Amino acid sequence: MRRVDLHAREGEETGFCLMNIPTLELPSLLPYAGTCFAARPKKRAVSAACTPSQNHILAALPAEEYERLLPDLESVALPVGSTVYGADERERHLYFLTAGLVARFYVTASGASAEFAVTGREGVIGVAALLGGGSTPSRAVVLNAGHAYRLPSTLLKEEIRHDSALLRLLLRYVHALIAQTGQNAVCNRHHSLEQQLCRWILSCLDRLGSNELVMTHELIAHMLGVRREGVTEAAGRLQHAGLIHCGRGRIAVLDRPGLEARTCECYAVVKRECDRMLPELRRRELYITTRLRPPLFAW
Amino acid sequence: MLAPRLEASLAPLAARPLRARTNSVARRAAIENCLLAAVPRETYRRLAARLEPVVLTFGEILYEPGDAIGHVYFPGASLVSLLTLADGHLALEVGLIGREGMVGVPLMLGHPVSPVRALVQAGGTAMRMAATDFFREFRLSVPLQDELYRYTHALMAQISQTAACNRFHVVERRLARWLLMTQDRVKSDQFRMTHEFLAHMLGVRRVGVTNAARRLQQRKLIDYRRGNITVLDRDGLEAAACDCYEAVRDMHEGAPTGPATRPATRTATRKLRISAAA
Repeated sequence: MRRVDLHAREGEETGFCLMNIPTLELPSLLPYAGTCFAARPKKRAVSAACTPSQNHILAALPAEEYERLLPDLESVALPVGSTVYGADERERHLYFLTAGLVARFYVTASGASAEFAVTGREGVIGVAALLGGGSTPSRAVVLNAGHAYRLPSTLLKEEIRHDSALLRLLLRYVHALIAQTGQNAVCNRHHSLEQQLCRWILSCLDRLGSNELVMTHELIAHMLGVRREGVTEAAGRLQHAGLIHCGRGRIAVLDRPGLEARTCECYAVVKRECDRMLPELRRRELYITTRLRPPLFAW
Repeated sequence: MLAPRLEASLAPLAARPLRARTNSVARRAAIENCLLAAVPRETYRRLAARLEPVVLTFGEILYEPGDAIGHVYFPGASLVSLLTLADGHLALEVGLIGREGMVGVPLMLGHPVSPVRALVQAGGTAMRMAATDFFREFRLSVPLQDELYRYTHALMAQISQTAACNRFHVVERRLARWLLMTQDRVKSDQFRMTHEFLAHMLGVRRVGVTNAARRLQQRKLIDYRRGNITVLDRDGLEAAACDCYEAVRDMHEGAPTGPATRPATRTATRKLRISAAA
């Protein structure tokens, strides 16, 4: 595995691979560019010292398969607002996220956008590289700065040719992703904004493994495809009920069971589908605990 | 009463025309389904031994959410909707599967349980295969895997596009998109559909569908009478539909191709070759 320094200064020679991809022009992401996020990945890098096994799929692999993959994995930082894959962009790598949050969303011809799935440490970005479709008409944008390990699609093809655990896990993830997308669609259609907001906050926190979300109301409005005022109003009601605390572009959850009671059943449905990947994950988790280091994930 | 011996001697005669017919139905339906038509002939021969021709009827439910997937279906002339449910009764169509695809994708992804309701939306022929047989063939055949992975990818794009479309586009444009998608898959200008059913598909009230259909009818794009929809002006309907239609159609036709992706025409030639062989 290539060792990299995540926070080398510009021009310094490292193995660090920065994606030369355009920054998202969503105005709501701009306030983050220099402020709250600058400190965040650094802290993470020091405390968590990114390893590929922070990704749940990689962590669930049998030890020998995991070791085989290690030399091919390339470390990538995901700065907030960057686009991992644009619409119809050819997906040449599979990104295993180890930290942060990436949203997949559509931008319609009129410019309206709606998120249909969020991905964190439990998943991968670039499923088209796996399924051989080349590209997707949606975009994947980093919402919360993080880190990923990427595998070129050519190596991926070789790896999954023989019936590997990686392929099985990735296909299961694709299934969970499809279920998540479908459920979000029906949720957007039939459930109130407040229920959707609860679902969204909870699913993001699950993927981040934290209790606090760094996110403005405007960005949430973009993701849910509603007006900002609607989000502010719904968040105000949740805050009044003592479930969350909003402040300075951060949302902290104070009463998680309360928030879960307030959301629609869509959250539970999606979580159940995602949790089906767990049996194999647990075995690996055990392995990590005993052999390598204490487990870091809370999912 | 006929002697048992005579009955026994007649049996093969009685069975012969039936078997011949089943075979011809099987061949026809196989050619109809693009996935089956796209796999190499040897693979198809092996699959054909396990495939069973069935006729799906309108309104039949193949799976409910949480049901074990007993069979996978390769629709021919039939059309199957994937509906996500909320609160047990509110439904929304997230995917539409016709001759270009397969019903039962979760099985291939390693989940023997369907997360959605699969509802037959236009009756017709289909081929089905028992889950265990399918799983074995799927593991054995690399070309089948490639085709199905690519199809899964297109289905994913369709589901996510539908999600965005449901969010932002008005009922009339969504109805136009839906009619076009249906027409593409059943390959006929006319099909049966009730307003109530459409309301379920589009996730709106019945009145909304009635109004939208009336407006399309006023523009002379469709004719809607006693549950029969006839597409009168396809170009006009395409203009009336939202962009989502184009995007999803391009995905299924394999527009964004690279060297790894087989061009769409290959399927067509393969189809021709198989029909010639048949």
